Amino acid sequence: MATPILVVDDSPMARKMLIKSLPSTWDVEITQAVNGKEALDAYRAGKADVMFLDLTMPVMDGYEVLENIQKEGLNSFVIVVSADIQPLAQERVKKLGAMAFIKKPVNPDLIESVLKQYGIAL
Amino acid sequence: MSTMQLTEDQRDAMQEIANIAMGQAGSLLAELLGNFVNLSVPRIKVLELAEVAHAIRDMVGSDIDVTAVRQSFQGYLTGEALVIYGQDGCKELGDLMGYDEALDRSEETELLLDVSNILVGACLGGIVDQIKNLTEAQGTAELGFSAPSVMAESVPADALINPDKLSWTHALLVEVNFTLEGRNFISHLCMLMPEHSIDKMRSILDRFIESF
Repeated sequence: MATPILVVDDSPMARKMLIKSLPSTWDVEITQAVNGKEALDAYRAGKADVMFLDLTMPVMDGYEVLENIQKEGLNSFVIVVSADIQPLAQERVKKLGAMAFIKKPVNPDLIESVLKQYGIAL
Repeated sequence: MSTMQLTEDQRDAMQEIANIAMGQAGSLLAELLGNFVNLSVPRIKVLELAEVAHAIRDMVGSDIDVTAVRQSFQGYLTGEALVIYGQDGCKELGDLMGYDEALDRSEETELLLDVSNILVGACLGGIVDQIKNLTEAQGTAELGFSAPSVMAESVPADALINPDKLSWTHALLVEVNFTLEGRNFISHLCMLMPEHSIDKMRSILDRFIESF
């Protein structure tokens, strides 16, 4: 069965880059969200077994998404995908329940190895 | 609307490229100042030269006076970079760097120039790194910078750009800003590129978009 995944980024370009970097053999059903609010809606609708989450976004940022998900009982495998490469940013998102941090621009091999590491894809 | 304008796809691609570049600059700033840096969503605009001063004021705010450092760049891309600080930015910087004694004026200026130089170099370098494989000039994607200089102190933001002093007709304005968590500090980095660089950038962005 296809895995429901959610790609959250305010930039259509960034979403496209991420989706193109996913392993081609991974059977997924992709939903996209342009900000944290949309992401939470999709998450609550069960469309985010795996979530690729940007941090810097208008309306609601990635940190807030993580906080909300944590409050509601984390039921998604969240991989933060961000240009914010401060070590403290990575520490914070992990504390908030993110499983992994991938820096932009995304590297397909790195995505694949993170997914494999947690036994998700393939 | 002028033909200089970016398409929605081009603007989006430019924004994402700027986002990645500012992440690298922000990380350096965080390390230098020992403080968490909040990154902005980059703002991208193509403007007629006469509109630039106003646009910068809108971004920086009209209620404060600013101090700005200027650095020009040429080579792969050409233009002017302005790093704009709130009036107290320089004093705050000295404090953040852990100087106990108040800095004298020349030390303060030196610090301001150093920080600006790091932000401009990292941001523009980060942009070029991402696009350098997309033009004929592959491998020669070098960028040269002038020495940074203080262009204005304690002036309103719309006084920074004097259209009479530039021979451009249009400018591509890329603005990112860095704020420090728990501090009253903001630094805007405005990168301005004239019409021939806009043309070049538009075709680079098209190739960037096609590559995904």
